[in-house]
Amino acid sequence: MRRLVVYFSAFLVVNAALIANTFSLSFYQNMTDNVFQNRYSERDQLSSLNFYLDKDFSKVSIFTEGNYAYLYDNPGLSYYFHDAGLDYLHALNEKTAFYFSVVGQGAFYRSDYSDFNYLSLHFLGAFKTYLSQTSILKSNYAFEYKGYSYSLFDFISHFLDVSFDTYFQTKTTIKAEVSWGYKYYLHPDASQEAVIEEGQGYRGGRDSYIYIPRTVYEGKAIQIFSANGLIAQGLGGKIGLSLSGMKQWTLSGENPFTSVEEFYVVENPSYDSFSWEGYQVSSQLTILVPWNIELKMGYTRSEKEFPGIESMDLEGNPLGVTRQDTRDVFEARVEKDFSSFSLFLSYFYVNNRSNDPFFDWQGNFFSAGLEWNVFFGGKK
Amino acid sequence: MRKSRYVILLLSLVILQAAVLGQETDHYYNVDTEKKVRGTIQMIVMEPRYKDSSPFLIVILEERKTKEMFNVEISPVRFFSQDFHKGEELEVVGSIYSLDGQKNIIARQIRYRGEIFMLRDKHGFPAWRGGEMTQKKKRKGKRF
Repeated sequence: MRRLVVYFSAFLVVNAALIANTFSLSFYQNMTDNVFQNRYSERDQLSSLNFYLDKDFSKVSIFTEGNYAYLYDNPGLSYYFHDAGLDYLHALNEKTAFYFSVVGQGAFYRSDYSDFNYLSLHFLGAFKTYLSQTSILKSNYAFEYKGYSYSLFDFISHFLDVSFDTYFQTKTTIKAEVSWGYKYYLHPDASQEAVIEEGQGYRGGRDSYIYIPRTVYEGKAIQIFSANGLIAQGLGGKIGLSLSGMKQWTLSGENPFTSVEEFYVVENPSYDSFSWEGYQVSSQLTILVPWNIELKMGYTRSEKEFPGIESMDLEGNPLGVTRQDTRDVFEARVEKDFSSFSLFLSYFYVNNRSNDPFFDWQGNFFSAGLEWNVFFGGKK
Repeated sequence: MRKSRYVILLLSLVILQAAVLGQETDHYYNVDTEKKVRGTIQMIVMEPRYKDSSPFLIVILEERKTKEMFNVEISPVRFFSQDFHKGEELEVVGSIYSLDGQKNIIARQIRYRGEIFMLRDKHGFPAWRGGEMTQKKKRKGKRF
């Protein structure tokens, strides 16, 4: 009987792969000396296995993806992530098109972090038109709902952006973009229960504040606005250089938690693009070296302030100032695409300086990946 | 004996399904007519190409050496993920076919702004995906 179940399961996987137009498997290996991105550096390795399937039905595509990630030194943070959705592309005329997608997602963490478990729904509507053959106008609207195991994090958000870019005969592209976002916490003050985990475990010296809602908190929503600019220059056919800048303002609202934290690779619900205001500047050099290997090198500097988040000393006493971080990131990435698989290696060095000493940190991050694609169906 | 029956049954089903799904449609990618063309983009349009399929992003390319014009089939959803402009250089590897006196290329690989994009595998099977707009960002590790 057990054998029959194994055969049947194997058949289902093969069958699903055959029904699909695309079936891909990928494996990523990540290493870091600072998985929790704070002053108490902690090493870990993360292995991630990913599968992806999609299938076209006339003008609609359906797709599904699963991702299991295992952390060797912090297995309690391991998770399985799955999403499924559909998308549709509609051309209005030969220069204009709309794109729509609806995606349902779920994240399931091991018991230590089960508060991070969530189910979510995303909707994306995109519009693109060529104003001329060298100028493009684009707009995107995104809606997201996320419901967490720990309902304090539950939210809905709206995001709208409009961009315009134009290309000059000097091989220069200039792009300008403005974005507006609105995030509404469904119940930020539903619970005043403070779940403090003593800091002898994964965080080093200071208690965990992430689960503590702020006791004084006005309003449930955060509203942001950002302006972005980019200039890109092609140097021959094999070198590309780009410089970009972004300024973001918090128009209203503030973070409803007493602390904001980021983890390496693992999503942390206290931190996202709504958490901060400030600026970011980036430069990137892309070179196509022999054997069609892509090499990318970049530098990013950001200065972020986290509205509503008060810096604390290492004992957890308030310092009376809003948390501010200045971050320098150096990155290098090498990628090679083969006909049915691709390989990549990347390295990041991050130096984060903060007026909250707990978040004064440096880290080295390595990733290596193998992605294997199998294609089925017609060749059209 | 019973085990062998299951294996045979399952293999038969898999082979039958693969045969049905592998049927070809319209014009298709022919590896024997594959060619590399390097040129300058003259026009970008969205155009229906295949029955019951989303319209394709078509780039009209002028070959650098011969000044010959090619209609390059990229993919449907790349219209959103790739911002081509007139005047930009593009290198295409793909299968050539002629239709109504026009030279067309079904692109398998493009090189653009110092980056390479694989659109099909070496046999010509499409590599673009549903949800590409939403999926691509989270792949290949974290960005800070």
